[in-house]
Amino acid sequence: MDFEAGPRRLPEPASAPMPVKMVIAGGFGVGKTTAVAAVSDVPPLTTEAAITEVAAGVDDTSLTPHKTTTTVAMDFGSVMLDPTLKLYLFGTPGQDRFGFMWDDVTEGALGALVVVDSRRLEDCFPAVDYFERRTMPFAVAVNRFAGAVPHPLDAVREALDVEAAVPVIEFDARDAESVRDSLIIVLELALARAMAAA
Amino acid sequence: MTRDTGDPERPGAATDRGAAAATPPVRPFLLTEGRVVAPGAELPMETQVVATTEGLHQLGALAFERRAIVEACGTPQSLAELAVRLGLHLNVVRVLAGDLRAGRFLTVHEPRAAISTDVDVLRRVINGLRAIPTTAGRA
Repeated sequence: MDFEAGPRRLPEPASAPMPVKMVIAGGFGVGKTTAVAAVSDVPPLTTEAAITEVAAGVDDTSLTPHKTTTTVAMDFGSVMLDPTLKLYLFGTPGQDRFGFMWDDVTEGALGALVVVDSRRLEDCFPAVDYFERRTMPFAVAVNRFAGAVPHPLDAVREALDVEAAVPVIEFDARDAESVRDSLIIVLELALARAMAAA
Repeated sequence: MTRDTGDPERPGAATDRGAAAATPPVRPFLLTEGRVVAPGAELPMETQVVATTEGLHQLGALAFERRAIVEACGTPQSLAELAVRLGLHLNVVRVLAGDLRAGRFLTVHEPRAAISTDVDVLRRVINGLRAIPTTAGRA
C-alpha cells in the first residue's frame, strides 16, 4: 500500500468507547422498542439482518431448493454512560421463528430484561426459556399497559415458574427512569453473581 | 421451546417492507463474494470499528460499500450502527469490516472476553445508569 505524503498532519483516529450490551426481549408488541427508546440517547435504529432460508419447493413441482430471503429487524439504541463506556440496548426480534437469531444478539450481553404483557403471558415463555438455558442474568418486567398491571406480580411469577432468584418486577416502558431502574435490577443480579463467582 | 432453524413458510411482508427501502439493489452476499462468517465466530454486533488515519487518507482506493464503511467509521461506531447507517446487512458489514481490517483501513476493537462477568465493568454501568438525568430530575 502506498502512502501519499500529505502536506498536513492527519488527526489521530478518535478512540472508541468500550461497548457493553443488554438485551430487551419478549413477545411481539409488548413494548421492547418503547423501552429502548425511553432510555436511548438517540432514536432507536433498526438493523436488518437477512436470513436466507432454504426450503424444498413446496409450491413448485421442481426439486430445486427454494431460497427466500427474510429480513429480520432488531431495534436498538444506546446510552453513552461516559466518553469511554457505551451501553447498547438491543431488542430481540419479536417472532418466535427468529429465536435462532437470539444467540447473535445476546452473545456477550451483561443481562436481559424480558418484557411481559400480563394479559398475554405465554408470549414471553420462549424468551424466559431461552435466558434460563443461557444462564444469563435476567429479570421479568411486566409492562404497565393502560396504567395498571392486571395481575399481581406473584401470580405472574407462579405462571412463569421462574426460579426465586429471578426478579419479577413491574415497570413502565415509556418512562426513562422506570426502564433505567429495571436495567439496574438486572445488572445488580449480574454483579452479585459475578462477585459470588470471583 | 426449540430453536427455529428455518421453516418452509414463505416470508411475510417483512421481506418487502423496509428491506426495499434500506437494502441496495445488489443481493447482499454478492458484496462479500458469497463469504459469510461462521455462526459463533462472528464479531458481536456492538463491536467498535474505527477508521485508521491511513484508511481515511486512502478512500480513493476503495469503492462503494467499502469506502462508505471506512468513511462512516471516521466516527467510531458499532457494526450494527454501520449496517443501519449504510443500509447494509449486518453480516455483510462483518465480512467487509474483516477485509478492511486486514487492509489496515480500520481497526476493530474486539470485545474483551468475560466482560459480562467483570465486576468493575458492571459497577461502572450501574453507576453510569444511576447518573442519567431523567425527566423527573431524580437520580
